[in-house]
Amino acid sequence: MGFTEKIQSPKDITHLEGEIPVNYLYTVGIAGERFLRELKENAKILGIRCSRCRLVHVPPRTYCEQCFERLRDWVELTSEGRIETFTICYFSADGNRLAEPEIIAAVKLNGATSAFVHRIRDANDRDIHIGTDVEAVFKEKGDRVGSFLDIAYFRPSRRVRSESH
Amino acid sequence: MGVRIKEFRGTSLREEDIRQGRVLSVSYRPKAQYLWSAGVAIGRYLAELKNGRIVGRQCDKCGRTAVPPRMFCEWCFRPNDRWIILKDSGMVNTFSVSYIAADATRITEPLIPAVIQIDGTTGAGMLHLIGQADPKKVEFGMRVQAIWKPPQERTGSILDIKYFKPAER
Repeated sequence: MGFTEKIQSPKDITHLEGEIPVNYLYTVGIAGERFLRELKENAKILGIRCSRCRLVHVPPRTYCEQCFERLRDWVELTSEGRIETFTICYFSADGNRLAEPEIIAAVKLNGATSAFVHRIRDANDRDIHIGTDVEAVFKEKGDRVGSFLDIAYFRPSRRVRSESH
Repeated sequence: MGVRIKEFRGTSLREEDIRQGRVLSVSYRPKAQYLWSAGVAIGRYLAELKNGRIVGRQCDKCGRTAVPPRMFCEWCFRPNDRWIILKDSGMVNTFSVSYIAADATRITEPLIPAVIQIDGTTGAGMLHLIGQADPKKVEFGMRVQAIWKPPQERTGSILDIKYFKPAER
């Protein structure tokens, strides 16, 4: 026995297997609560404006991360924005090859200062570039649970889609 | 609340508020699976337990035999030298009487985990359970004898020894 021995599978040698149960449960917070309730009930996206530095945060938070000001000015945004940056994924989060590649993009809504990460679907690859106008597609009301994924995905806006056909 | 603090700031929440959906929450359970190689020394140790015997590793410099075995002597900082096949008897090095099980439930028949110094070895020993014993009569230095599972039930685990029972001196 020495270091030259090649073991192809770790299960070929004496081993111990186990699983550590790690359960997470956390609240979405004060700003998250209002944001997600509005998304669930009315399919509307809320942001919050900083009265000091004028940044509009989406998703909203209770403090401005730029100037540490307490945030109170809630604003309703449109469900339209643009792609700030994107990537095309051929593998899922657990490393398996996807049947269909998935486009993940940082989307900045019109009127917002910050971008968030979401999915792009219902799109031709050639329409996807930095600056593409996109719009949110919401889940049906009965399917919305108060999650950021109540926005099912973003897709290129109608103008982009009609131009590409 | 103490004398000086009359009220905590923030939002007070109870688990019930979360469970009943009065506030939105995020819940998930990552898969924290592991597979851990037993290594050369513990690998053989477990394989030999399946054969019904306890093995240790001996160091020529200090003369000590270690159980559970490792491939180096942590007293001399050098690789140790040979496998030693040992008896399945020893003495209680230290022990505890526990009326709480591993899942923190209360039990009436106590568990008696003990460090058993196997005969022919020096220092520490193997962590195991004492069985067939009056908890009030277990003491340091008490002689014990391994009680094994039948060969066909052994899996190459430390639990191939069911427990150690008090032995005649």
